[in-house]
Amino acid sequence: MSTSTWFELSAARDTLTPETERDRRRRRILVLCAPFLVLAAVAAFVPLATMVRMSVSTDRFANVGFSASAWRTLATDPLYRQVAVNTLWFAAATSAVSVALGVAVSHAFAKYSLPFERVLVSVVSFPIALPGIVVAFMVVALLGRQGLVTNAVAFFSGQGPIDLATATTVTGLFVGYVYSLLPRATMVLRGTYAEVNTDAEQAARALGADPLRTFYYVTLPEIRPGIVAALLLTFRTALAIFGTVLVLQGLNVATLQLSQVISVGYESQIAAGIGLVYFAFILAVTFVGLRYTEADVIRR
Amino acid sequence: MTTLRTPRSLGKTAVTLVTGLVLAVLVVPIALTFVSSFAQSATGVVPTGFVTFEHWRTALGLTDVGARRGIGSGLWFSVLLATGGMVVNLVVGVPIAYALTRYEFRGREWLNTLAVLPLVPGIILGIAFLRTYPDNAGTAFGLVVGYALLKSPYMVLTVQSAFQSMDLRQLEESARSLGASWPRTFVTVIVPNARGGILAGSIITWTLAAAEFNFTYMVYTRGPKPFSLFLYENISRAPFLQSAAAISMYFCLVVAAILVLQTVGRHGFTTT
Repeated sequence: MSTSTWFELSAARDTLTPETERDRRRRRILVLCAPFLVLAAVAAFVPLATMVRMSVSTDRFANVGFSASAWRTLATDPLYRQVAVNTLWFAAATSAVSVALGVAVSHAFAKYSLPFERVLVSVVSFPIALPGIVVAFMVVALLGRQGLVTNAVAFFSGQGPIDLATATTVTGLFVGYVYSLLPRATMVLRGTYAEVNTDAEQAARALGADPLRTFYYVTLPEIRPGIVAALLLTFRTALAIFGTVLVLQGLNVATLQLSQVISVGYESQIAAGIGLVYFAFILAVTFVGLRYTEADVIRR
Repeated sequence: MTTLRTPRSLGKTAVTLVTGLVLAVLVVPIALTFVSSFAQSATGVVPTGFVTFEHWRTALGLTDVGARRGIGSGLWFSVLLATGGMVVNLVVGVPIAYALTRYEFRGREWLNTLAVLPLVPGIILGIAFLRTYPDNAGTAFGLVVGYALLKSPYMVLTVQSAFQSMDLRQLEESARSLGASWPRTFVTVIVPNARGGILAGSIITWTLAAAEFNFTYMVYTRGPKPFSLFLYENISRAPFLQSAAAISMYFCLVVAAILVLQTVGRHGFTTT
């Protein structure tokens, strides 16, 4: 038995039957984290590992043999390149719009005295609890054939509501994404605004800077970490949206393609491949983003 | 201190207008859906013919017409699933939130990231479950385990913020010096002190699990239909007003959840 293995074994024994306070502490941490680790193993690690195996299986319904054809298809088929492009630009654009609007909303909440502020905060946070399919229905209620906006425009323009309905187009989907993302962005930014140093803003104003310059040179640098955090959160959330796009269609993004690959022909290898690429990408975005937000906080 | 009084600036007007517009776009469809569910017709700009409970009765499965898309036994099944997911989240989330807040240890940052960020989208987890647990993915077991994992970040985050506002070290040391063992300290001193956060976390995870769609859609095969699939059937196939009634049921649930959350000092679903 090598020395290092012996040390590891003795460390494990000390954790299980601790004699020192340090060992007891280690055992406590282990006991506290164990239930989560069990859940993570059963519900995430094992399924994701199975998914790796699934992507190179030769059979659609069981993990047998080895074939890289699914990966080859994903790498070479122009369809999947198009799906990737759609997914990325759409998630990026909806995140950017949501965060920009979120800055305006949290600015108004923080700086102006709005009536019924408590109720308004609840209103903004309400959509966070709505699943994607319900968000899709909200878009239909506004922009669908029986939608409020559609029929209002039809009433004034004299056109038919069926021609005017945009719920199931890219526009409708865009509204749906922003509907989901904006409340999340606003919640993050409200937290950032709560920590803004108002003395500096008032000093800038007293020294003659107009509100726009004060915002650009004083407030904006202070809320920048919040903006980055909100962009990161909304981008990750946008990538995971599925229910909204399943109902509204509008654009073939990765989650929609994933469900079609499963429901039409059950191409499980392709689905597993898309799933893994997607998971790896979200993980990468998260860690790069976290590093960036931390660096940003330190620089401040 | 004198506040600077400048004439109402263009910027302020613009920001207020944008905020008003955003709030309107968020709230109008919700209000419209709820009001429409009691209307007889929704063909014009605004719904007309109030008040009828016909759509609610159909959505609830109390009439013959909607029996196929009525909720029926699925509602109780969903209540059971969401409660199961919530219980698992309590068992899993409260201890790890404590470990992450109270102790410094190797790998803490990694574990924290893993515990507070939803890293696997529901639809991908669903596909992985289909192969990993071929016989159980769509059963109560599979759904509860899936919901527990997907919603655990909300529990961990909420409970963590409760722990962060407490002086854990002092609390623990006081109890220990009075003779309580460590497990007893955790169960009878630490946990009760964080009950507000734990309650909030439970409500949030329960409500989100009750309407979880992406994962459910992927793994469901047969048996009682979970609530989110009932919503999906209504949204994709039922007439507008009946869908409105089905969705309004969920709105009532969310409003109830938000009201309870506010009594424990939180502004609705603010955890991210």
